[in-house]
Amino acid sequence: MISVKNLHKYFGKLEVLKGVNLEVKEKEVVVVIGPSGSGKSTFLRCLNKLEEPNDGEIVIDGIPLSSDTNVNAIRREVGMVFQRFNLFPHMTALENIALSPQIVRKLKKDEAVAVGLELLRKVGLSEKAYEYPERLSGGQQQRVAIARALAMKPKIMLFDEPTSALDPEMVGEVLAVMKDLAQEGMTMVVVSHEMGFAREVGDRVIFMDEGVIMEAGTPEALFNRPQNLRTKAFLSKIL
Amino acid sequence: MVIDWSVAIRSLPILLKGAVITLELTAGAVAMGVVIGMFMALARLSKRWPLRAFATAYIDFLRGTPLLVQIFLVYFAAPQLFHFQPPDKYPYIAGILAMGLNSGAYIAEIFRAGIQSIDRGQSEAARSLGMTQAQALRYIILPQAIKRVIPPLGNEFIAMLKDSSLVAVIAMEELFYSGKLIVGNTLQSFPIYGTVALIYLAMTMTISRILGVVERRLGKSDIR
Ligand SMILES: Nc1ncnc2c1ncn2[C@@H]1O[C@H](COP(=O)(O)OP(=O)(O)OP(=O)(O)O)[C@@H](O)[C@H]1O
Ligand SMILES: [Mg+2]
Repeated sequence: MISVKNLHKYFGKLEVLKGVNLEVKEKEVVVVIGPSGSGKSTFLRCLNKLEEPNDGEIVIDGIPLSSDTNVNAIRREVGMVFQRFNLFPHMTALENIALSPQIVRKLKKDEAVAVGLELLRKVGLSEKAYEYPERLSGGQQQRVAIARALAMKPKIMLFDEPTSALDPEMVGEVLAVMKDLAQEGMTMVVVSHEMGFAREVGDRVIFMDEGVIMEAGTPEALFNRPQNLRTKAFLSKIL
Repeated sequence: MVIDWSVAIRSLPILLKGAVITLELTAGAVAMGVVIGMFMALARLSKRWPLRAFATAYIDFLRGTPLLVQIFLVYFAAPQLFHFQPPDKYPYIAGILAMGLNSGAYIAEIFRAGIQSIDRGQSEAARSLGMTQAQALRYIILPQAIKRVIPPLGNEFIAMLKDSSLVAVIAMEELFYSGKLIVGNTLQSFPIYGTVALIYLAMTMTISRILGVVERRLGKSDIR
């Protein structure tokens, strides 16, 4: 589903990704962990072309991401959820969800609204359809953001620390939605340090450090028997 | 010379007629400025360097030279450059044109600041949903930027209203020029220019009051 080979990304002279290789199968859930500044966000953003890689090869669902591929076509297949939600503040929850199906997928308004209401039901927020984001809690906003990404019917979902801007009591409701999604067979790449989620839902955990994947394995193996010294050091800090 | 206030009172209808022209001139110029400003702001933020260079040159030139000189350039120099006979209404046209071109540069900067004040995450979210740059601008960025742009646009309107007195130099019969004509005939400078000043003041105060109300309304629904 996702194939990344020898990915390099520079910001000016700073090399942030130093040759990342990763294959993600259909329906697989990959959890990415690693210290701050290790390039996790940058890696995720390369997967939907919010960042332009300097070298390497990315193939998404059979489509190679080169500089002349239609970015918008790729982005339609790859949904993204951000740490800071990024809901559109001038639109209600429902409008946030129903907008892009109309203007990008060319759905009729009532079809898009039906999709939106169904997704709001799915994330447990039917009664908040007509609220503006400022009236929603962080957890609710993030669930709307997930619904918004799902409205485009993506084949892959990327999550960049979706719960780290949330108060602790709201983390669970967002992880529950993500877990449901994984069980429905969504292919997911999740940057998150929620170990419980990684163990329960993750098929594979990847430890990223200094722009490369240092170690990868099942959650069980990576958390209980890390081989790499840096992985050990990092895990001892967060566990 | 004895100060004669009755001249001011008798001249009031003429002065008010001038004030209406001042308002027309300002409204026309700012309307033109909004169109130019929108184009220039987008050009300045564009990825294409020729567009960026053009907009930067335009804005620098119009903000870096005196409006008075710009008025002369449009009124006297343009007919010479483009070989045309100025039509009858040319002072009016040249006045709006010069002021519109000028305020376009200032409004471009207002729009640019407004667009750039919107969090980057907004356009990233829009783009990640498959929207094109243009769609993100139209549905996500501009609706939010508009609200932040209204107060500075109002200030620009007030600034233009005052600066419009400069077009008196090309015999455009707006408020200040009307006053000048009356002073020429009656020599009552203090009552007439005093009245002219008061009329300007009444207009700018009224507009800034309206602006205050609008701002408070916008403030209530802060981000929406
Ligand atoms: N747009 C940018 N311009 C310049 N440098 C950047 C940019 N984005 C990220 N960087 C730098 O790239 C490095 C990796 O950043 P990245 O956000 O990918 O790390 P991360 O692993 O997601 O960290 P965190 O856990 O803090 O989110 C950092 O040193 C960061 O300062
Ligand atoms: Mg990050």
